[in-house]
Amino acid sequence: MAAEVMRALRAESHTLLVEEERLRRHLEQRFAVHTRSAALPDVRALLVSPANEGPKALLVASDTSAAERIYLYVHVAAHLALGHHLPLVTIVEGTPGLARLDADAHQHHQAERLARAMWWGRNDDLAAPRSVRGSAVLRELVSRGATRAALRSVLLALRAAYYDLRIERALARTPLAVWLRDALCVTAVVAVAPQLSD
Amino acid sequence: MRIRDTERLARAIETLGRGASLDRLVDRVYDLTDGSLALDRATLHRIARGKTQIARAIDSPEECIRLYFALMIVGCEQELSVATVVEEGCAVLSSFIGEPLAGLIFADLERTLPKLGDRVTLKEYLEEGLRVWLPK
Repeated sequence: MAAEVMRALRAESHTLLVEEERLRRHLEQRFAVHTRSAALPDVRALLVSPANEGPKALLVASDTSAAERIYLYVHVAAHLALGHHLPLVTIVEGTPGLARLDADAHQHHQAERLARAMWWGRNDDLAAPRSVRGSAVLRELVSRGATRAALRSVLLALRAAYYDLRIERALARTPLAVWLRDALCVTAVVAVAPQLSD
Repeated sequence: MRIRDTERLARAIETLGRGASLDRLVDRVYDLTDGSLALDRATLHRIARGKTQIARAIDSPEECIRLYFALMIVGCEQELSVATVVEEGCAVLSSFIGEPLAGLIFADLERTLPKLGDRVTLKEYLEEGLRVWLPK
């Protein structure tokens, strides 16, 4: 039982889950977006809005990972900031390249650009964790598929060692541990959404 | 609210209910709208039979929209085809309200439908649509 719990904890990083919760709360407080998950066979998310600035509903596919949900929240916030949901427009997020969404390609492209600026920007609300977003080295490493994959492998190996050696209590609050955790979080998000990188 | 085309609305309700009793339909609409549509059985029976042009308890456009979403969800639950659900749902809303609000809702439905792959996703979209129109 304990092993199963441990495996489940390792399956979704706590840092990613905390970050996801923070962004979800921000969407709710800043944009009045209520989020829930549902089995959506072939789209990733739907943002349904009323004909005014009232509460909106974001439906996220239940098979999305925490990293993907983080990306979706930032991307949806970009759509909202650009007013793409007005006057009464449902925003459908599909997997990239889905032909059915071609008609919205221009708007999604605009939202991607703004989401990228927000993710690496100085606004704490929707940006990547503060400890790593200013790191030019990290940003460079996650910007290419090969280096991103290698970095992710290294960070996952460090994370596994961190827990296996049972040193998390001793190191948990050190700047190095915080940096590694946040770097893994950013790498995981960019791995599912490479469009967030330069 | 005055109904424009009583006969068409009666046919739409019958199609979306797919043979379910009107009492069950009222109960389901009541559940789906969290009791915010005080639609009494007698009124729905009269509407469903095309016997009245006056729909008491559906006095605002928002209430019409909630009824529209709720009946379409019922249509999905009755496993009607996406095309039928959409066509009959539009008939319901057209019978109650006109432009510009209905135009916005139909335009969104028209834009969104081609992006949704199946009835499961359509039903989720309708449920969220209903939720954003529920009174706060």
